[in-house]
Amino acid sequence: MKRGIHRIKPAKKDRESLKSLGERLAKIFEIPGDVIGSRPKVTAIGRGEVMIENFKGIMDFQDGMIRINTQNGVIKVMGSNLVIREITSEEIIIGGKISNIDYDA
Amino acid sequence: MFLVHLWNYIRGYVILLVTGNSVERFINICSKRQILLWDIVRVTDRSATMKASLRGFRLMRPAAKKSGCRVRIQKRKGLPFAFSRFKKRKGFKVGFFLFITLLTLSTSIIWDIQINGCKPEMIPQVMNVLNMEKIGRGSFKMGLNPKAIASKIRLSVDGIAWVGVEIKGVMLYVNIEDSIDAPPLIKNNQAFDIVAERDGLIVQMEVYAGKALVRKGDTVKKDQVLVTGRLESMYPEFGTRDVHAMGRIIARTWYESSLPVSMEYTQRLRTGKTHQVTYLRFLDGKIRLPGAAPAFDLYEVTTYDKTLTGPFGVSLPIGLTIEKSFEIMERQVPLTFDEALAIAEEKAREELAKRIPPDSRVVDEKVHHYTGENNQTYVQVVVECEEDIAGLRPASIQ
Repeated sequence: MKRGIHRIKPAKKDRESLKSLGERLAKIFEIPGDVIGSRPKVTAIGRGEVMIENFKGIMDFQDGMIRINTQNGVIKVMGSNLVIREITSEEIIIGGKISNIDYDA
Repeated sequence: MFLVHLWNYIRGYVILLVTGNSVERFINICSKRQILLWDIVRVTDRSATMKASLRGFRLMRPAAKKSGCRVRIQKRKGLPFAFSRFKKRKGFKVGFFLFITLLTLSTSIIWDIQINGCKPEMIPQVMNVLNMEKIGRGSFKMGLNPKAIASKIRLSVDGIAWVGVEIKGVMLYVNIEDSIDAPPLIKNNQAFDIVAERDGLIVQMEVYAGKALVRKGDTVKKDQVLVTGRLESMYPEFGTRDVHAMGRIIARTWYESSLPVSMEYTQRLRTGKTHQVTYLRFLDGKIRLPGAAPAFDLYEVTTYDKTLTGPFGVSLPIGLTIEKSFEIMERQVPLTFDEALAIAEEKAREELAKRIPPDSRVVDEKVHHYTGENNQTYVQVVVECEEDIAGLRPASIQ
């Protein structure tokens, strides 16, 4: 029972995301997904900087944890002394000593 | 990133302290409304500091209202705020504008003129032209047309092949290329005689063209025709032929100088007393600094300039001119006859050296002294030379 539910949910989500016209086009023409779709692009530079493009908004902002809402779910960045270096409507740059980047958290 | 920071600094920004239950919501709304925020640091559970541009701060009010946050400015940073502090300082403003005007003024005038490439005796002529055009140290660069100045100099001063006038910064460079004078043109079909340039006794003659009228051993007077360029034919019916007489006429010439022998010698001695007058020099002007004039009856003056040297060895147009006067004492010193004679002889020789042409060769020198009227003793120096006395002159038309 539990297994069944578990199976249905991600399948539905996958189908939904694949339904997006831009993403399907990107897949056909082998264009990197971030160019057309609105899926988040997470770039980590060293340990001190994480840049997330195509985000929806911040859900939680604390000294040791930042949660960011994106189309593909919530991304949680953990670490110490976290700061938001820059935030615009398209991208957010997180600085500080980063230890985790979690999806679906 | 540095450039972004610099830009923000120039535009000015504020450091804000945002307090509220949901600072995240405030940040989200700001980012949706295209308000750029940076360096967001959580301070406590209910507050965070962040930086925003001035424009962003103005647009922030609805976001703060919506999210129920209070926004307080902690610090203002950037050039606009730095300048606003100076708004109240009147003296600073005046000084700043004075500085700007002085700087522009001092860079828009000519500080020095350099003339390169011409003979030293030509420089005063060139300076004269520049003075006529009212161009000098301190004149404005704005109205100057280097090409016009160059052509003016070119036309006014003889012996110039090319002039270039260049204004480089605060310097005016005049580059001159001397022209070489064309030799005087002599018509080939015109008769020219060789005449004696001065009196003499001919010791050697080499005639290349023309017919010699004198011989070796003859004494000739100045302007006497020595070789004629008008050749007469043996047969009168053929007429005459005109040539350029050419030749070397080496003659023995004498130069004489006699001077009275003075038995006393005026000795000029410095007493050791000096006096100094100082002038302040700026560009071409001179200002005399306060100080008395020298109170000596007889004095020698030596002038020297002290120039202020700026950085990189640049000589500045500011300096001091010091006129130093030395008091002089004249004393008559009696001389023995031999000493007096030697001094007079030396003077006579010096006088002769000015008259003797440089291409002549001194053969002999005789010195005698004789007593003239008023019992005055004279010294006479006679120098015997050998020199080429040939001078070319168009033959007179008969």
